[in-house]
Amino acid sequence: MRPGAFVFVLVAALSLPLHAAPAGGVAATRHNLSTSGPGAVRATSETRICNFCHAPHNASPSAPLWNRRTSGSTYTPYTSSSARAGAGQPTGASLNCLSCHDGIIALGELLNGSGEISMSGGVTTMPTGTGKLGTDLSDDHPVSIAYNAALVAASGGELADPVTLTGKVRLDAAGRVQCTSCHDPHDDAQGKFLVMSNHASALCQTCHLKNYWNSSSHKLSGATWNGAGSDPWPHTAGTTVAANACENCHRPHSGGGAAWLLNSAAEEDNCKPCHTGNVAAKNVQAEFNKASIHPVALTTGVHDASEASLVARRHVECVDCHNPHASNTAGGTLPGSLAGVSGITIGGAEVMPSIAEYQICLRCHGDSPGKPAPKTTRQIAQGNVRLEFDTANPSYHPVAGPGKGGSVPSLMAPWTTASVIKCADCHNNNAGPSVGGSGPNGPHGSSYPSLLERRYATADFTTESESAYALCYKCHSRSVLLNSGTTVANNVHREHVVSQRTPCNVCHDPHGVNASQGNSTNNSRLINFDTAVVKPNSSGSLKWVKTGTGRGSCYMRCHGDDHSPEAY
Amino acid sequence: MDVRNRFVASLAAISLLYAGSAWAGAITGSAHDFSGSNWSGGKICVACHAPHKSDTTVSDAPLWNHTHSSATYTLYSSATLKATISQPGGNSKLCLSCHDGTIAVDSFGGATGTTMVTSGNLGTDLKKSHPIGFTYDTALVTANGSLHDPETKTVTIGSGTQTRSGTLKSVLLYNGKMECGSCHDVHNTFTVGATGSGLVKLDQAGSKICLTCHDK
Repeated sequence: MRPGAFVFVLVAALSLPLHAAPAGGVAATRHNLSTSGPGAVRATSETRICNFCHAPHNASPSAPLWNRRTSGSTYTPYTSSSARAGAGQPTGASLNCLSCHDGIIALGELLNGSGEISMSGGVTTMPTGTGKLGTDLSDDHPVSIAYNAALVAASGGELADPVTLTGKVRLDAAGRVQCTSCHDPHDDAQGKFLVMSNHASALCQTCHLKNYWNSSSHKLSGATWNGAGSDPWPHTAGTTVAANACENCHRPHSGGGAAWLLNSAAEEDNCKPCHTGNVAAKNVQAEFNKASIHPVALTTGVHDASEASLVARRHVECVDCHNPHASNTAGGTLPGSLAGVSGITIGGAEVMPSIAEYQICLRCHGDSPGKPAPKTTRQIAQGNVRLEFDTANPSYHPVAGPGKGGSVPSLMAPWTTASVIKCADCHNNNAGPSVGGSGPNGPHGSSYPSLLERRYATADFTTESESAYALCYKCHSRSVLLNSGTTVANNVHREHVVSQRTPCNVCHDPHGVNASQGNSTNNSRLINFDTAVVKPNSSGSLKWVKTGTGRGSCYMRCHGDDHSPEAY
Repeated sequence: MDVRNRFVASLAAISLLYAGSAWAGAITGSAHDFSGSNWSGGKICVACHAPHKSDTTVSDAPLWNHTHSSATYTLYSSATLKATISQPGGNSKLCLSCHDGTIAVDSFGGATGTTMVTSGNLGTDLKKSHPIGFTYDTALVTANGSLHDPETKTVTIGSGTQTRSGTLKSVLLYNGKMECGSCHDVHNTFTVGATGSGLVKLDQAGSKICLTCHDK
């Protein structure tokens, strides 16, 4: 027998009982840092498993017989304007976890034992990766926070009662959320050492009960990724929107947006991965490349989840109009895409949730400060859209209630004088379903100025055509307006719009004229002149006077023609 | 040498090695061999045992010769502990007569010594040590949720001629309780682990000593 053969047999025989792979349990997890561990991080010769964390004697802290020192670091805790629990420094079990996971103490440095345990590959402290949290915990779910009835009350019912936490997700003995509330360091059967599967965010929802969530598409949709672009779910195993649930937008650790634990720091970037047509059917993201947009990419960090309904610092993000916990596919006057969003009533009061689309628009386009000046300089200037649409006004487009026109012969079915319209009936995608296009519905972006759905020419001397005023002609019959043979059609509309090439916008203020500024004699029929075109007449008078149904007198000077007055 | 002979030779070599370790299964040369101490008069057992006039004040004390400690101990506690812990009794009390650091190792047979324990001085604060002296039964397993059932889980300690097999209860527990002796092989009967490994009953490799009870 060759000596080599003898050694081989001997070694093989002896190694079997000593190095039999441990079955299941902690031994099969990456927390087995001994030589038998399954992970890349393991010791060069230490065969004990439990001692990396626990000691039977001389432990500190004594429970749970801890065998590691803490780094003594000052940690930066999680914070957000809507967080109701004051996250302080980590305590208890979380501090134990951080004795490795803050990346400061060597993995092999134990309280008891003969010197630091050597790790393979020259590893000392926790290697860079998802497990290394560092001392900046601001992008991690808060820990060591008291989860009590007061917190539940402060959450507005969006947290489960702590007495219900008797299952896998538990608080510590002092009623605090700790790392161990979500993670079981001894059991990796669910992955990420989670105490239970987080499929469909079941773990998250043990505590977090978001309003509206049960009917939300982000909970219910079975939509999958079509494989184009980048993976919308890089940090989960879920393959549908429903399977990812909370984690479509949030991640409990190391997200790009620290506050609210969002995947990305730029608010819209949390929506973008799916709303490109790669998961959600419509490519909303592409809408923001158009000429007129709600500029969601313009600001980052200005939007605040706890901001008032009335926007004080000008910005717009997807979540200003959409509540991702509530959005759904329901139709109706207020579509499901706008469910659960706060707003401002036509009277100026906060409302939650909005029950009409315009209430959402009024968050920014009403009393909100810092608005840009109106595009058209009018005789009666008003930049507050809420005041323009007030139903006490002498005239307004019927957004907040049916209009006051009484008789509007140009209206086409199904519109009547009793109809109520939405902002999005005029302000919408130029290639969306409302114009027979395949793009997404809603005022994300349009090729036309003022985010209008159709062309609405406002430049003086525009040649009248079906397309020039396509927006107006959507509801108001071009033939009735121009060719119905009435005095208004012949002498007013056709004369001015066709012959004189004067846009509708010069005489009509499409939103409305506030009651405090105008009156029914001079400002019925949305009359409020564009003063860049319409000037005072030779007597210094600039007004329209309603003299009867279909009758009026004009005092002004337009295109060099003095009306002093011109009656019809 | 043909294949058959080579196999036989290998077997012989292996058995020799195992047999060798079995022979070493003795208190002689272990941390509890006091024959080398100048106070022992060359006796191994004298610090703990006496053949006559032994102390019977502690139940389970086998021919006890060492002075008992009168210390009151700080007990282990934790928010998740389900067992009921009381002041140490049983064989743990015997261990602590040296290992709490209040009584000299050479205080035995009525004499008062001066040599304090140097290795394994736990002090009287047992809060920092694994709890002892508690009943480990099926009820505890149910309450705890991550323990093996001592009534059904079996274990083998030692090897060769010095082997014991049976349920955790029969092999490791004393009157159904976890005591120092549940983990520690005070006489080095089973020679598990090398010198300095703490006279353990079960292999430290793979933390078998922990995971035999703890279902982690």
